[in-house]
Amino acid sequence: MSGELQLPSPERGTRRPTLAFDAVVQRVTTHFPDVTHDVDRGELTFHADPQQLVGLLTFCRDDDELACTLLADLAGVHWPAGDHVIERQTSTTGWPEHRVSRDVGVIEVAYVLRSVDRNLVFRIVVATDDTDPQLPSVTGVFETADFHEREVYDFFGVRFAGHPNLNRILMPDDWVGHPHRKDYPLGGVDIDYKNDKFIPSPERRSLREVVE
Amino acid sequence: MSRDTRVDAPDDPDEIFVDGADWEQVIDAVTDETLTVNMGPQHPSTHGVLRLVLELDGEVVRRLNSVIGYLHTGIEKSTEYRTWVQGTTFVTRMDYLSPFFNETAYSLGVERLLGIEAPERAQAVRVILMELNRIASHFVWLATGGMELGSTTVMTYGFRDREHILDLFESQSGVRMNHAYIRPGGLAADVTDDFEERVRALIKLLPERFAHYEELLLRNPIWNDRLRGVGVLNQERAMALGVTGPLARAAGLPWDLRRAQPYCGYEQYDFDVVTEDASDSFARFLVRLEEMRQSLRIVEQALDTLPGGPVMVDDKRIAWPSQQELGPDGIGNSPEYIRHIMGESMESLINHFKIVTQGYPVPAGQVYSAVESPRGELGYAMTSIGTNKPYRVHVRDPSFVNLQAADEMSRGHQVADVIAIVASIDPVMGGVDR
Repeated sequence: MSGELQLPSPERGTRRPTLAFDAVVQRVTTHFPDVTHDVDRGELTFHADPQQLVGLLTFCRDDDELACTLLADLAGVHWPAGDHVIERQTSTTGWPEHRVSRDVGVIEVAYVLRSVDRNLVFRIVVATDDTDPQLPSVTGVFETADFHEREVYDFFGVRFAGHPNLNRILMPDDWVGHPHRKDYPLGGVDIDYKNDKFIPSPERRSLREVVE
Repeated sequence: MSRDTRVDAPDDPDEIFVDGADWEQVIDAVTDETLTVNMGPQHPSTHGVLRLVLELDGEVVRRLNSVIGYLHTGIEKSTEYRTWVQGTTFVTRMDYLSPFFNETAYSLGVERLLGIEAPERAQAVRVILMELNRIASHFVWLATGGMELGSTTVMTYGFRDREHILDLFESQSGVRMNHAYIRPGGLAADVTDDFEERVRALIKLLPERFAHYEELLLRNPIWNDRLRGVGVLNQERAMALGVTGPLARAAGLPWDLRRAQPYCGYEQYDFDVVTEDASDSFARFLVRLEEMRQSLRIVEQALDTLPGGPVMVDDKRIAWPSQQELGPDGIGNSPEYIRHIMGESMESLINHFKIVTQGYPVPAGQVYSAVESPRGELGYAMTSIGTNKPYRVHVRDPSFVNLQAADEMSRGHQVADVIAIVASIDPVMGGVDR
């Protein structure tokens, strides 16, 4: 989209009729054939390669058909390596068992894009290896990603290449570890009691030196 | 005393004494310097534990850096270790001025994961409570914003009027704030018999109060001088910075999720999406003032058409088993239900225990559910792996995102205007830091 932002009408909140998911998928996949998609519970998700991320988001923003001017959300989820099967008694709940099996642990980052003009919302998911998580920063495309990327860095340790100020945002500056990772040990946050001795939990000892 | 020591030590010719007589020297010495000033986190006019680091050129702000995290309580992480129902108790504490919005957005997400929908009565009650909550939240914005600009009168009025609404919340949920009343699948309990009467009383009372504010502030010269032309943020910049809610609407963008992507049956109600064109702090004041009136319109319509029926889904695998009843000493267990599980049905007792202690599993998947909170788009990105606890809950809090605009809005303004600008953003630190 070039020039001015197109204004939605006051009556409906949108200016143009919304696009069906098929049309969105077609629009995206003609330009990015490698991108896969799924529709679950009425939500459209694209799965992309991190290398394509900046190009894909720029396309969604600038494309006249999609016109996704708002990056609504950006959040991470950690999926560690291993075979996790959650079995449910299908006879009582009727819900299928869920199997997550991964050779390599990943951190998935989901970018929720909104088109004010088209009244459209969909998600772009990219995954990065959890041992050395790195993704390109999208602050050049959407400035709002600044705080979001800092939050994902803070919680998951994903380093966003090209971010202007990649620091911790919610946790204290000297915090050790990234607390939303599933391998982050719980418990044993040391508090300086004056007349008491602090004993960290066994898992925690590997993270932080025990201070006398 | 200190004066004497300074007079006695005239050895350093460059030393400057700021006592008025040598003021010319002082300003000569600092002409080409920027000064970095820390404001907060403990400061009455920074709207909670918000810390601002300002780069000043004289009195003019060159750069503003918001430092947040002082109220971080790890709510997102905590929800991963509680059942889906217990999650409502946590999320309601994030943006503590709009608890019903947090609960609704969370519940809508869980409901979408489960593939269920709350009964119509529950949806309508949610709408009534949310809209009243929006008014209460805007009252606090007016109160704190007014106080930050030096008007303690507005502060007392705002908190006084908010209390009427909180009284209603207390009568329905038992608590003034942090209700955990809206649950996945519906509501914790049905509204009380005097609910309609109480809401009608509010519908009668509040318009008078809105008129009061208008009378007090609309043509108030101080209010106008402090807000007009301050903190301008146009539409394009608002979109780029992810700014939603009254800030975007004050820039002329009629974007409201209640209208664009209705939830809880908002499509049935007739209301206007309020917009202004000035894009400044005063426009935000006007938008919020009018929004309160529109909210009351919605409340009235929802109350007129309030359907009967249950307030919780019928599915015994999901619905909270305990039945509440209003007794003489407040809400308590229903004697009939206690008789049923203790005397009649062993299976009901087992089900009760399983649901209460273990919760229910939620099918695997990922959803993003968003509602229009008083501050903008409040989104919950939730992931389930099919267990009785969330795998990950991420909250897109509008205060967190909108705060990013403070830098751009403040540049070129004076320090005193920063206060007005932060007040016009209306960030709630409980939501920012989560």
